[in-house]
Amino acid sequence: MIRVDGLTRSFAGRVVVDGVTFAVAPGEVVGFLGPNGAGKTTTIRMLLGLLRPSAGHVELARPVGHLPETFTGYDALSVDQQLRFWCRVRGLDPAEAIPPALAATDLTDLARRPLRRLSKGQHQRVGLAQAVLGDPPALVLDEPTIGLDPAQLVDARRLVRSAADRGAAVLLSTHLLAEASAVCDRIVVLVGGRVVAEEVPGSSADLEDRFLRLVGEGSLS
Amino acid sequence: MIRTVAGKDLRTLWTSPVPYLAGAVLQAVLGLLVVDQLASRNQAVLQPLFPLAGFLLLLVVPVLTMRAFAEEARSGTLDQLLAVPVRTGPLVVAKWLAAWLSALVVLAPAGAFVALTALWGDPDDGPAIAGFVGLTLLAGVAAAVGVLASACTESQPIAAVAALFAGMVAWFAHVGDPAAGDAGLLAAISLSERLRLFAGGAIDSGDVAFLLTATAGALVLAATVLDLRRLR
Repeated sequence: MIRVDGLTRSFAGRVVVDGVTFAVAPGEVVGFLGPNGAGKTTTIRMLLGLLRPSAGHVELARPVGHLPETFTGYDALSVDQQLRFWCRVRGLDPAEAIPPALAATDLTDLARRPLRRLSKGQHQRVGLAQAVLGDPPALVLDEPTIGLDPAQLVDARRLVRSAADRGAAVLLSTHLLAEASAVCDRIVVLVGGRVVAEEVPGSSADLEDRFLRLVGEGSLS
Repeated sequence: MIRTVAGKDLRTLWTSPVPYLAGAVLQAVLGLLVVDQLASRNQAVLQPLFPLAGFLLLLVVPVLTMRAFAEEARSGTLDQLLAVPVRTGPLVVAKWLAAWLSALVVLAPAGAFVALTALWGDPDDGPAIAGFVGLTLLAGVAAAVGVLASACTESQPIAAVAALFAGMVAWFAHVGDPAAGDAGLLAAISLSERLRLFAGGAIDSGDVAFLLTATAGALVLAATVLDLRRLR
């Protein structure tokens, strides 16, 4: 379960997240949409405990799988070593957690390759593998398909969906409306630090029209 | 947790050229200075080794510690760790442990000077043992200050310079003006004065407690800095 209630944050008197409230149930994928500067990253940082909210509170099932917007691993480690490190940090058994994560992200053949020798897409897949290690009950994914080619993109969406099908509550922040339409059960749209819509995504074209209308309205208000 | 993070840091550090270069420079400079000292004294004694090694440690350790938190913060991996969540106390201890062990490995070849001095003369065991105890504790302080500096910034060069500056201030603290009336206090916090006592063969509980307290204090400050940065 992921639940944020009245989450508010100001920086130097300027409110950047204003009373944001939403919930993600187990087995659900919720898209977190909004233009740049809408407050998505600030909300996610508060959700993860990396930033203190000015008001409101957060409930988050732990351990949480987290893929940051710009995923970085430890270049000196191999893919396998990187995942082993995170297994130990999160108290997981590497022998149980790593093989399914590698298989789900199509990284089994690259397990011994150092991260510094991976392409951008492969690097992003390591981030995804790291996030889903041990089937965490909550997943917070920030732009998880950045840098992936079309086939990998389809696989990554399937991975997100299957994590939810296994019971994870998934919050998926993305700029790709087609992705939100394809994967998400619901979307939460944030504009100017406020939730302006919470609805079923519907078709990609329909979502695009609604999103642009919401962003336009939010920008004017 | 401490073992996991320290092990990762050791692997990361020692797969880069940084500790090898730092160690080579330290040993080369130390070798030249020690040989020069022994030649000018015309005696096979160990006393010159420890102050020189201590001073060089304070120059080299900031290079070993500058990555500790600065690089993790810059790349975003620190946020990944804190999101788990990993507690800052064990994280700081793990970083310090990796840096301290690395500093000891870089310093270890200096043991060869003891063997060489023993070949040329008959130095006392006491000063050799006490001197290396002092250097070990000094490396702990330097590593802790380096980790603290690295926790305060996302820039590795700034972390290195800050740790170097702090180390130099602590090393030369005794060089105060006695007329100002604070020479006693400055001498008390001077790392070079503390090490001089160890090099003389005395392991004083007050000196040990001072160096351990300085190490612990810097580590507590580093954890506090991380908590403040996270919850700002």
